[in-house]
Amino acid sequence: MKNIEGYQEILDNPMVDIATYLFLEDIADKQGAAGMNNYLMSLAYSLARTMPEEEYTKWEDFIDALVKSESILTAFEKVYAASENCMVTVESPFLRGWKEYTKRIGEFPKIHKDVAEYYNSRVTPTAIETGDIIIQTYRKAAAEKITVNGKKIQVAHIATVSPDGSKKIAPEEWLPILLEKAKITRTQLNMILRNNAAVWVIYTLQ
Amino acid sequence: MLDVALVSLIQDMSEKAGVEGTIQYWLRVGENLAKRMGKEAYMGWPSFNVALREGRTAFSIEGNVIALTDLAITDVDGDVVGYLYAVEKCVFEPTILRVRYSVGQLPKADKQVADEYNMTYRDIAVCNFCIIHTKFREEVAKNITIAGQPLEALQLANRGFTGETKIDEENLKKIGINKEYVRSLLRNYACVFALVMKGARLKGEVSEE
Repeated sequence: MKNIEGYQEILDNPMVDIATYLFLEDIADKQGAAGMNNYLMSLAYSLARTMPEEEYTKWEDFIDALVKSESILTAFEKVYAASENCMVTVESPFLRGWKEYTKRIGEFPKIHKDVAEYYNSRVTPTAIETGDIIIQTYRKAAAEKITVNGKKIQVAHIATVSPDGSKKIAPEEWLPILLEKAKITRTQLNMILRNNAAVWVIYTLQ
Repeated sequence: MLDVALVSLIQDMSEKAGVEGTIQYWLRVGENLAKRMGKEAYMGWPSFNVALREGRTAFSIEGNVIALTDLAITDVDGDVVGYLYAVEKCVFEPTILRVRYSVGQLPKADKQVADEYNMTYRDIAVCNFCIIHTKFREEVAKNITIAGQPLEALQLANRGFTGETKIDEENLKKIGINKEYVRSLLRNYACVFALVMKGARLKGEVSEE
């Protein structure tokens, strides 16, 4: 979100967030986890499509824009850079909706986890629930609209932590490569996961 | 993020399923939301209005809903059968601002969906989200009883983000409230509706018979 004075005070109305979750559940009732997954990904793609392209001349400027939430890549989340390639999302951008839903409606139906399993088995295995599919798809789609020094950005997801504390880390066989790209160790990853919501890596193709 | 993503989905969905399809989805969401909130029972209007003020009723999900207790609705016998209620800030306004500052502008589908609803259902929506919460209120009212009687919600007026207003004159006539008076309420509130006891013999309805 734009970093202007007072802007962070504009909180979404709980009804809009809950209505979105119910809308997705309505789709799942009719089309199952596969249909819901398609809608979630489509939702993220269409959001990324509406965003403008970005170009940076220096990697440091890009990181600065990410941390200040001025880039489209972090327009919806607060992040910090654990290294020049490793971004850490402090709080899930869906936390407010998650809290409002559990407060006003009750426990999330199982479909929100089932759809993540579906996504994990077919796309990238780092989602825990509905929101993760949206944000991970969005990050990848938004990254395609950004260049640094003329090179396109790539995003890969290392780990996700749900608001209830459950974690999903990339498969063992992928982890060493991802950690090397992120320039962090496994111990550092575990330290980050204790009190943050997601760890992801940004890089350019050589 | 969920709300901003939803707005871009409205465009996507309207292109794929048509604006009528989006309306159908929204009506179902409004209905499901009300269903999931459960039932409520109150001894009388004062206890309901206190619960509303304290944010304990299903209606409170919309934000600050104010009971205009000076505007009681009476039936043909002069008994109080309902009140006017007003929402201070449009439910969709924070999302409109968040879209404005993250994406740039609302998709065209927002207005297209509202226009289609106004043409085919009733002329009261100022944005696509009015469809959800109008339906939501109607369904929630059925789940709330006051002195054992279920309620009925009558949408009266909406004010949009850019100041446009929509007033349902038919519902105003039923409860015997002047259009200009409701318009003046829209200076302070984004949305005005009435809650009445279902089946009450309202003056406007009886005079029509």
